[in-house]
Amino acid sequence: MDERLTNRCACGWEITGPPEDVVTATIEHGQRLHNMTATREQILAQTVPAAGAARPASPVEPETPSGGESPT
Amino acid sequence: MTHLHESFDVEGPVQAEVFVVWLHDGRLESTGPCGSGPWMLEVGASEHPVDVVGRIVRGAIGEPILVHSTSWRRDRDAVILSFVVVIDGSLVGSMESTAITRIDLARSGATAAPASIASAQVVEHGLRHLAWLVQDDPVVAAELSDAWADALADYVPEPFRALG
Repeated sequence: MDERLTNRCACGWEITGPPEDVVTATIEHGQRLHNMTATREQILAQTVPAAGAARPASPVEPETPSGGESPT
Repeated sequence: MTHLHESFDVEGPVQAEVFVVWLHDGRLESTGPCGSGPWMLEVGASEHPVDVVGRIVRGAIGEPILVHSTSWRRDRDAVILSFVVVIDGSLVGSMESTAITRIDLARSGATAAPASIASAQVVEHGLRHLAWLVQDDPVVAAELSDAWADALADYVPEPFRALG
């Protein structure tokens, strides 16, 4: 079965779909609407399996804080 | 970004909280691409908050009439800079929009921040700040129409201040 993930923004925006679609949409949403930057790994670490889907056996771990965080 | 499995959220030591306001048949309303509530933006260490707000608003909504920081407070483990952004009604489109209602301000103590501050109180102060600017600042007065001045006339003018 194809993996489907869901990611949610605190503003209420939500995306569900294949991992790469979720990553692409989340990066676009974060940059365009919240001035945020995030890596693919960070985004995948935040996702949850889409409703009705099983959690991936090996979820991707987030990068370390120095690995692509937005400037602080 | 916040590493939560429930949602991601704006973070960082300085954040911008944007209230996009417009005039709907003489009534002030709040709108935005993420709903009509506060719209949060990250502000990077090398970025100017006004530039960030202006750029993101232009990209997501369109050219604003006015971008103005109206208050600041400590919240969300950050310094939150509140902005009122005035837009023309033609830019609202399908964005959610809610009438702005009046509310008492969150008042500070003599040497202490208010115990709590609601978003509506930040908006109330922001509009009082605009009411002050439209009287005091010729640039703002030139940008805001007479209809805006009328809508702000009921707001007690107040300058920029810390809310918390």
